[in-house]
Amino acid sequence: MKYLNKNIEEIHELLKEKKIKPIDLVNEAFDNIESNKDLNAYITLNKEEAIKRAKELEDKEVDNILFGLPIALKDNIVTQGLKTTCGSHILENFIPLYDATIVDKINEKNMIIIGKTNMDEFAMGSSSRTSYFGAPKNPWNKNKICGGSSGGSAATIAARDLLFAIGSDTGGSIRQPASYTGIVGMKPTYGRISRYGLVAFASSLDQMGPMTKNVYENAILLNAISGHDEKDLTSANKDTEDFTRLIGKDVSGMKIAVPNYLMSDIVSEEIKDKIKETIKLLEDNNVTVDYIDVKYLENAMTLYQIIAMGEASSNLARFDGIRYGYSEENPKNIEDLYLETRGKGFGEEVKRRIMVGSYLLSGENAKTYYNKALSIRDDMRKEFKRVFDNYDLIIAPTTVTTAYDLTDPMDDPRKSFMDDILVIPVNMAGLPGLNVPVGFSKDHMPIGMQIIGNSFEEAKMYQLASFIEKKLNLELDPNGGEK
Amino acid sequence: MEEKLSREEILHVANLARIKLTEEEIEKYRVQLKKLLNDVEKINEVEGYDNDILIAPWESNTTLREDSEGSMLDPKAVVENAPRHSGNYISVPVVIGESEGA
Repeated sequence: MKYLNKNIEEIHELLKEKKIKPIDLVNEAFDNIESNKDLNAYITLNKEEAIKRAKELEDKEVDNILFGLPIALKDNIVTQGLKTTCGSHILENFIPLYDATIVDKINEKNMIIIGKTNMDEFAMGSSSRTSYFGAPKNPWNKNKICGGSSGGSAATIAARDLLFAIGSDTGGSIRQPASYTGIVGMKPTYGRISRYGLVAFASSLDQMGPMTKNVYENAILLNAISGHDEKDLTSANKDTEDFTRLIGKDVSGMKIAVPNYLMSDIVSEEIKDKIKETIKLLEDNNVTVDYIDVKYLENAMTLYQIIAMGEASSNLARFDGIRYGYSEENPKNIEDLYLETRGKGFGEEVKRRIMVGSYLLSGENAKTYYNKALSIRDDMRKEFKRVFDNYDLIIAPTTVTTAYDLTDPMDDPRKSFMDDILVIPVNMAGLPGLNVPVGFSKDHMPIGMQIIGNSFEEAKMYQLASFIEKKLNLELDPNGGEK
Repeated sequence: MEEKLSREEILHVANLARIKLTEEEIEKYRVQLKKLLNDVEKINEVEGYDNDILIAPWESNTTLREDSEGSMLDPKAVVENAPRHSGNYISVPVVIGESEGA
């Protein structure tokens, strides 16, 4: 009997009525992962510990809807005693000494951590192909990428291995792979989820979020993992709320903006057509949709390159071969240790970004590039705020193309930024962004739509997303529901 | 001809980043970094913005936590996580000069 292809409410009922036990779900998840092994979605499995935990839960009361459910974490979230590699050689054998706050919250709900998912090295990339452990594959077509950097989390959800995964999103790394694999991915407002224990890439942009097969389950997981944390100074001092509360509510009367640049000729015709069909569906249901100009969107990639690479060069300075991780064997002196460890420990994309970032922050360059980027970033955020004075939400495509071939060339350093051109602005302004599947291309690869909300208005985004999900009623299981 | 940074420029940024590159990498990065730096130059074409800056998109007031005693990591475990350690200390190679026998 299979349970993990059911919806959360059905599974919860079965657990409550003691018709199934958490161990049944854990065993099923590992069976699924085993049969989908060729997807390479995981770097580390937590089998022994997960089974132990499931057995412990048998004596406990099923006290919440997430109780006993398996969950996968992106491998840049630290887990005490469980290897955390960030997809990098430099942390290949790194075992953290503490749990991230999000891990504590998951444990409080008595969910069961199944494993750590594959990702671009230090979350730098757009196809998960910069992973030291090889690229994960797209369940819709195993010759295609599943996007990145949260590629493994996207793949395992799309393949229906389990219901829940966590990703992280610095410049689109939840939404873009969600779009490529036909799942729901939410990057919440900056500060909504504590970043304590998320290995930092670009601290002013990073945010974790839920990746699930549908909108409702996504909102349920966000309920569990959000909230203020005194261990993260940038976590928002907001009361917790129920993100499912607007799901199913009428969307008529909503006002939605579509930024012209995000529907310009940078996006493939096929994707634009699908977005236009969705817009038509909304208009037919009394939603107002206006195409508008939003300033600075065309500069977002440049801002991202400066800010993300600058912050990365600083954050990744901690990997020095002294305190943890890979270390050069016989260094001549400490300088030699740094140079050799980092030269051999980091992969090509990471080295490239650290070097450019170091250059951008050095001496006078900090004024010429970094400070200027921060100024434009501030104006961009104000521009978004102006849009939200008049509109409830913004919609746009999530990606410019559908998932491309795993064998496509990787030698263009601009490619990974270009892939994320539509999803980057959200991180610049700290806004929440969500991907919801809206259809398929001619070669049957998923197409996603991005919903962008004002800060802390995730509930409204789920409202619109669930409306679209229900109306379209797409078959989003790559196996067509067969297991 | 493909635009490239000079060898010296690459060695300079690699040194800033404390990364040792192989000869092959130096040649590859001469082309690749030039492409990225060309992108970054586009920042100078943007006009019309004011001088306010946004370092991080914080929405709500951040608060300082109370200054109270909390649980700490076990120092022994921290030290043991270091590739080189001795007793309660993390050890490092020589800082000035070169170690003998290396």
